[in-house]
Formats: sequence, structure tokens, C-alpha cells
Amino acid sequence: MSTTPVLQHAEAATTAATQTPALTLVCLPPLAAEALEATLANLHRAFPGESLLVATPDTAPTAEVSNLRVITYTPSSPPPGAWVPTAADYLNAWTVAREHQPQALLLLGPESASVAPETLRRLATAVLDRHDLVLPRYPVGPHDALFNSAILYPLTRALFAHHVRFPLPIDAALSSRMAERLATAAQRLTAANQGDAFIWPVAEASVAGYTVRDVAGETRTLPAPGADDLNSLLSNVTGSLFTDIETKASFWQRARLVTSPPRVPAFATRPSARDSNPVDLTPMIESFRNAYTNLRELWSLVLPPNSLLALKKLSVTPAENFRMPDSLWARIIYDFLLAYRLRTINRGHLLGAFTPLYLAWVASHLHLVEGDADAAEQHIESVATAFESDKPYIVARWRWPDRFNP
Amino acid sequence: MGQHIESALRESMDRVVKMLVSFLPGLLAFLLAVIVMAAVGALLAVILRKVLTSMHFDERLASRQTPGEMTNLSEWSPANSPTLLISRTVFWLCVLAGVAIGLSAFNASFSETNNVSLFFLPYVTHIVGAALLIIGGTLLARFLSRSVLIGAVNAQLQYARFLSLGIKWLVLVLTAAMALDHLGIGGSVVEVAFGILFGGIVLTFALAIGLGSRDLVSRSIEKTIDKPTGFIPDPASKPGSDTPPLRHF
Repeated sequence: MSTTPVLQHAEAATTAATQTPALTLVCLPPLAAEALEATLANLHRAFPGESLLVATPDTAPTAEVSNLRVITYTPSSPPPGAWVPTAADYLNAWTVAREHQPQALLLLGPESASVAPETLRRLATAVLDRHDLVLPRYPVGPHDALFNSAILYPLTRALFAHHVRFPLPIDAALSSRMAERLATAAQRLTAANQGDAFIWPVAEASVAGYTVRDVAGETRTLPAPGADDLNSLLSNVTGSLFTDIETKASFWQRARLVTSPPRVPAFATRPSARDSNPVDLTPMIESFRNAYTNLRELWSLVLPPNSLLALKKLSVTPAENFRMPDSLWARIIYDFLLAYRLRTINRGHLLGAFTPLYLAWVASHLHLVEGDADAAEQHIESVATAFESDKPYIVARWRWPDRFNP
Repeated sequence: MGQHIESALRESMDRVVKMLVSFLPGLLAFLLAVIVMAAVGALLAVILRKVLTSMHFDERLASRQTPGEMTNLSEWSPANSPTLLISRTVFWLCVLAGVAIGLSAFNASFSETNNVSLFFLPYVTHIVGAALLIIGGTLLARFLSRSVLIGAVNAQLQYARFLSLGIKWLVLVLTAAMALDHLGIGGSVVEVAFGILFGGIVLTFALAIGLGSRDLVSRSIEKTIDKPTGFIPDPASKPGSDTPPLRHF
């Protein structure tokens, strides 16, 4: 299977040699014909009068759009049900970009027809303003992106010192050198026949010393992860993140947040900012209690005694008072990260045993925020702060694991 | 009469002493071979470890392998170090070679008419094989029981621990039966007993699911069907529910 996309220029879009090179290249995922046309229409509205190069793996539409040059390419086999750009996507995008040398590269994920022109404009503008990695911050409700709120955002912020709300982006805007760096990381994975593996752009940018920024995005249709069950999805994403963190250990152990983060505007919420019907948390809490009864011996191999004691207290807490402290959650994540590195137990078992703890955090979070989007955002920020405060803990345990072995 | 008794005792003592005299050199040769080869193995292991560490063998291998793959040597190495795995393997191979040399020396110390070595040497290999079987079976039982436990807990089955213990003991019983059969102990008694025990356990599970735990299983199955595929007790999946769905990603 070839991992190098083959470029084909649609005859209808090829014009005379006097055409100026595009400043911005947009790489699209496989889309249905209607979605492709809608995306092109959005791009036209976002960049009126600007020359734009659009690369798509689908057949180019017959109707030309004035400022858009559409080229088609043959990507490597796309992973089924990919809900975010994967290693193969980053590699394909760079291969296209290498030939056309754009100043900005927009990589759009699934459901790209729903990306508003304003979002596209902000992404491209930020990159053209000399930022290397620009990620959109889409508005989500209090019941959305829970895994990102629980783990991805706090861990990325604490270890890599970047306040990027969604470190595993659906869409991304890249500078040329950022795209090259991500393609290099992707090449290692695609060479090992792992084209569907995740890439962590914020971590890569941090290690390379590139500038990172996130911009406010308009409401977008968030693609669903597909038919994978939650357990395997959690294991895949968490395992990928932990592996990436492990390879970059020498960097994040010294990374410090040098400047205070810019005060971000109030997070946009969906129209129903407060959900009047609360989520039934009882099944999640019961699931956690069942897991504590059956898995505490396994958790005792990973977690220190004080964390286990806290979990024991949590398991007997009534549902109306179910609350996992932020510091406990941060310690749990750090201990599991360390156990992942040390292979204390089989990694598949470790990530499987982690799922009930994540669900306990979800239940605690939802109980705390009670459907209020602003309260949810405040809690997420406090969780991230707890991760930052406990960073010395993971640094110390990483360097001297035997001294704190539970 | 007393002289005859004394003579008989003296002769039997002579025979025993002679047998010991013929046995002890072989035993000492065996021990010496094992000790010497163990020392050689330890020296080779140290040299090999230093060489591989200076070559950054672990780092080079890790960069070529994919994390999480079953074929990843680092996953199976003690302390995540293929260097340690290789050095320990070399050491134990030398020890095994020492055992083989020692057994050969032990065999040579007996006369050709003595049948002890003809019986003893092959049995030692069977013992080693049985020991390896037990070690492998124990590891497999622990791995499978843990996998079943975690999977059942995440599937929110109330009898997760029961399933896990059942799997563990099934594998252990199977391993013990294989080891005993390998050692030639018990003969058909072990085979029949194992067949009865194993078949009984499987029949018990089948009856429990089919008859005895019918209500419990049907409740569990109904709960599983009602749940969304993400193992999350999503209230929004219930018909007519107004509660918002959860999105983890």
C-alpha cells in the first residue's frame, strides 16, 4: 500500500501559467458531493478575492469557483470512521503542501461542510500572522467533549504549558514548518502501518519551540467517533497520549508556563446553556462502585494508599454528595501515566482498569455543574489548575519511580 | 551364628559404601559443572549487557517498534529492557548447558550395567518440561483472569469476579493435568479426573446460564441491550427521554 498521495490536477481547474501561487492550501477529507460543494462555498465566502488552493481526494466538482483552484490527490487508505485527522491525513497534507509551498495550510476534518467561513478566516489569518499552529476552539455544551475536559486539556496544559482547549483537533491551521514536523512524526507511524494513529500537534509544537494559538470558532458539527465502544476508544486515545508524553519526557519535565495565559473570552455555549433535565448519574456511580469492589487490587498496583483511601471513601459516598476532588483526579492520571511508562501491569489491562475511574470523574463533574455551561467551564479550569499544581509530583515520580513505589 | 550376622552386615555395608563411592563423584561432577557454567554464564551476561548498553540497544529497538503491538519485545522484557532479557537468557542457557554437562558426567560415573541413569536422565527433561508448563500456565491463567475481570467490570456485569476466578481455575486445572500427564504420574486416572472436572465445570456454566440463572442472565442481557454501545448508561437512549446525551469526544 502506497503511503504517498498521488497528485492529479483537475482539468477544469487548471488555468494558465500566469496564475499566482496560493498563500493558503486547504486539505479536505473525503466528502460527499454535496458536502464538498458546501465546503467550497464556505471557502469562497471566507477568502473572497484571494487565491486559494484546495486539495481533495474526491472528484473535483465540475462547476468552478472563481478564486479556488481544486486539485485532487490519491491518499493512502483512509482509516474507517476517523473522526479526527490521523497520521495519514497529516502526511498526505504535507505531501501536497511540499509541492505548492503555501504559507498556510488548513487541514479540515470530517463534517468540514459545517465549518463556518469566519472560523476558516480566523485560522488562516492567525497562521499568516506568523503563528505555527492554530487550533479552533469550538463552542461545546456542558455534556460535550468530556474526555477532553477530563484528561486531554488539563494534561496538555500542565505538561506542555499551552492553554489549548482542544489539543486533539478536528481542524488545524499549520505553518509550513509545523506541517513538516507533524508529517515527520506521522511518517514513523505510517511506516509501521499505523496510519490511523493519533498525532498530538500541541506537544510537537511545544517540543519544537513553535508558537501555538487557539482561536474562537463558530458552531460546528462535531463528528462522532464511529461505532467503536467507549472502552476501546478510551484505551486508544489514552494510550496514544501516554505514549506521546513518554517519548517527550525530557522536554515536559523542564517546560514551564513562562507567561500568564491570555484571558480567553467567555466560552461560547449552545443556546440551552443550562439543561433543565439533569443527567441520571446513578448508573455511572453504581458502575464505579462495582469497579471499586472488583478492581481495587488492580488499582493498588498503580495508585498510592492515599488515593486508594480517597476512592474508597468516594465509593461509599451517597449519590447526592458524589464529588471527586480535582487533586485526586490529577494524581490518578499521573499515577496511571507513570504505570503506563513502567509497565507495572499489561498496558491493555491498565487502560481497561482506567475506564471506571474516568466515568467516576464524569459523574462527579456532571453532578457539580448541574448542566450549567459556565459552571462546567469553571470546573474544567480548576481541574487544569490542579494538574499544573501537581506537576512536581509526576516529575519526581518519573525520575525516581522506585522511591514512591506503592 | 553371630559371626554370620556380622559378616552379612559387613558385606551389606561394603556394598552401600561402594555404591556411594561410585555415586558421589558423579554428583560432585554434576554440581561442579553447574557452578562453573553458571559462573561463565554470569560473566557472559555482564559482558553482553555492557556491550548492548553501550550500543543503546534498547533505545534503537524501541524506536523501530510500535508501542502497544504484541510483537513489541519491550512489552515482554523485564523492566522494559530487551538488554536485560537477552543477558538473562544467555545466563540461563549457560546454566542449562551446565546441567546437561553435569548430567552427562553423572551418567558417565555409573557402570554400563547400572540402570539408574537410563531412567533418571530422561525424567529430568520431563521435570523441566512440566515446570515450564506450570510456569506458562500460571502466567496465562493470571493474564486471562485479569482480562476477563476488567472486561466484565466495564460491561457492568455483577458477577465479574466469579467469571474471572472461573477462568483462572479452568486454566490452572488444565495446566496441572498437562503437567501430571507429562510427568507420567497417575496415568489414566488423571486424564479421567480432569475430564470429569473440566466437563463438570463447563456443564455447570451451561446449566447456570440455561436454567438456574435464567432470570439473572436475562436481566443482564436486557440491561446490555438497553445501554448504548459506549457502555455508558445514557439516559438519552431511553425512548421519550428528555435528558441530554453525553459526548465523551
